[in-house]
Amino acid sequence: MTNSTHTTELGELTVTRVFDAPREMVFGAMLDPEQLTHFWGPIGSSTPIEGIVIEPWPGGRFETTMVPDGSPIEAGFVMKAVFVEVVAPERIVFKQDLPTGEMRTVSTYTDLGEGRTRVVIHQTNLPPEYTTDEAQAGFNSSLDRLESYLATLAR
Amino acid sequence: MLARLAQGEATVSELAAPFDVTLQAISKHLKVLERAGLVVRGKDAQWRPCRLDSTPLETAAAWIDTNRKIWNDRLDQLDRHLQQLQATGKRS
Repeated sequence: MTNSTHTTELGELTVTRVFDAPREMVFGAMLDPEQLTHFWGPIGSSTPIEGIVIEPWPGGRFETTMVPDGSPIEAGFVMKAVFVEVVAPERIVFKQDLPTGEMRTVSTYTDLGEGRTRVVIHQTNLPPEYTTDEAQAGFNSSLDRLESYLATLAR
Repeated sequence: MLARLAQGEATVSELAAPFDVTLQAISKHLKVLERAGLVVRGKDAQWRPCRLDSTPLETAAAWIDTNRKIWNDRLDQLDRHLQQLQATGKRS
């Protein structure tokens, strides 16, 4: 791992990392339940293998249970997602239906040579009423302008 | 328009003033912002002042913070996992 950068827009999140590991290995780790138990749960939690379902094809289930340290699995947070795209070893897309709308997570894996791999995670959280092209165009341009305006206030 | 509303309540005509567009076009844009929960309109049928509600923006900011932390933790741990995996692979 050599760097870590973030660019953030409203309702969107991008996280980029470079790993000192070959692309197939990094990509493989993302779709292997046993390997997921080693890294998926954020710090302070774990992701037990009995709570993981990975069906790595479009329409397949992607489910995990993140359990806070010291709690039983029943107290865990269940994530239920569906794969939209699985293109080995380049790209994985999954979506989650949340009360606030659809969240989509795209991860891309780029071979940088010499056994290094860049991973970009891009997440968007779009409530259903924003997902028509027209609404989204209007909403995005409004937010862009609001953001610029708020930036001038903050100065 | 949102920039104007950030300064306080305004009517549709006041919001339209700086733009060379019809009131109908402004109303249509306002409806999108209303559906997005960013603009709230008054009940007074005659005047119906619009005001900005920044709650959806704050919700979006909280969502970004939470998910950034989750992915950072996850990728930190993935890095350690991959290093271990490769160290084990080299030994065998």
